[in-house]
Amino acid sequence: MFKYQFRWDTVWGSFDFLMSGLQMTLIVSAATLVLAMIGGLIIALLDMSRFRALRWVGISIGEVVRNTPILVQLLWVYYVLPIVFGIRIEALVALIIGLALYQAAFISEVYRSGIQSVPKGHVEAAQVLGLTPLQSFRRIVLPQAIKMTLPPLASNFVQLIKFSSLGAVISVSEITRRGMELSATNFRPLETFTFIAVVYFLICWPLAMAIRFWERRLQNR
Amino acid sequence: MSSTSPLILADGITKRFGANQVLTRVSLEVLERDVVCVVGPSGSGKTTLLRCLALLEEPSEGRVVMEGVPISTPSPDKQVKAAAREVRSEIGMVFQHFNLWPHMSVLQNLIEAPIRVKKMPRDKAVAIAESLLKKVDLFEKRDAYPARLSGGQQQRVAIARALAMSPKVLLFDEATSALDPELRREVLAVMRQLAREGMTMLVVTHEMGFARHVGTRTVFMDRGEIVEAAPGSAFFDAPQTERAQRFLQQFADE
Repeated sequence: MFKYQFRWDTVWGSFDFLMSGLQMTLIVSAATLVLAMIGGLIIALLDMSRFRALRWVGISIGEVVRNTPILVQLLWVYYVLPIVFGIRIEALVALIIGLALYQAAFISEVYRSGIQSVPKGHVEAAQVLGLTPLQSFRRIVLPQAIKMTLPPLASNFVQLIKFSSLGAVISVSEITRRGMELSATNFRPLETFTFIAVVYFLICWPLAMAIRFWERRLQNR
Repeated sequence: MSSTSPLILADGITKRFGANQVLTRVSLEVLERDVVCVVGPSGSGKTTLLRCLALLEEPSEGRVVMEGVPISTPSPDKQVKAAAREVRSEIGMVFQHFNLWPHMSVLQNLIEAPIRVKKMPRDKAVAIAESLLKKVDLFEKRDAYPARLSGGQQQRVAIARALAMSPKVLLFDEATSALDPELRREVLAVMRQLAREGMTMLVVTHEMGFARHVGTRTVFMDRGEIVEAAPGSAFFDAPQTERAQRFLQQFADE
């Protein structure tokens, strides 16, 4: 270890190659967030449905997804779905679907707690003044709930950036995969994976700090 | 609609939450310009009675009747539901914890219901809201958010918000209980002024002074029943039942 000769030039020489992976990482994360926000809404609506069967579906999806490993889910989507439905799924599509499903299960909880964080009295005040349930939801509950859900949604995005590295396992050419490919040819895993870790950190850490600052500001209001 | 029927009437209301019976055949009528004060130990069912009249709770038995028309019954039919929608905003309510909407300014809190429910043009709603804010002496806070106001100020805004719908009756649910003593006075002053102006009010309160001097009638509740009711200060001067006497004893020092 002490005699190790660092060869950072092997990383700089492939900078563009690695950065093309970063671009893929960010695309996957953003696409997944959008899908997960929609999926989370659907699961949350199922959870809060008046009909027992729908509630059961929503709760089951949530429980299964939250209590199995994300990596297994990705492998399942990539290898099992094609067998069941007889279709070929691109690795990229499988990654986005798998991650989105996983995050949707968590985001549905974020939505639900956001809605439940609005005091019942605010809704009763609206009811007494004659607002319809729909008006009260749109004008009183939703604006307050959204404010509560934005920081956790942003935190989810940070998580997604990290989880997207799992795409490497099913050969999606995001930055981690690029690193694996590079180190297989330059035989310099130390420099390569250190560089990649630093890239993840430089993206995720400022985001996480900004979210913490934002949350504190919301609380102080 | 005859002038003899009470403005709002609780007609033999029983309310159960599961096995817990909170109200037992409570009947109470409020006439126009009445200021009925409901007093009694906590847990006596005062708030539940008020919430039934505000249509926030459905009675287990009995009904709520407004100007002769039933507006709340156990498992109400279409007709009752329609009647309830009709008069919904004529019954105003002021809550113990104000329940202002924190994401809206004071003015927005006041104009929301008139615009959405009464379909009032915005300018008109704003004009009414501003005159009500002057009335509760908070005009300069019109653009402030509720979190910036003291408890007393928030409650005065809440009263103005209720008044913005020009209700026929205003229900007060321990409107001063959450406030420090020095803030209570400003809220009680507004309530007293409303009573003077002839507002019909049903006031659940622990403020014996208000009940005695402002109320036209005092109703004493205990364990889910109306134990005693007497006009004006008669209840305080000569309580008839032992339970009422014991209850009033606690306030002897005041």
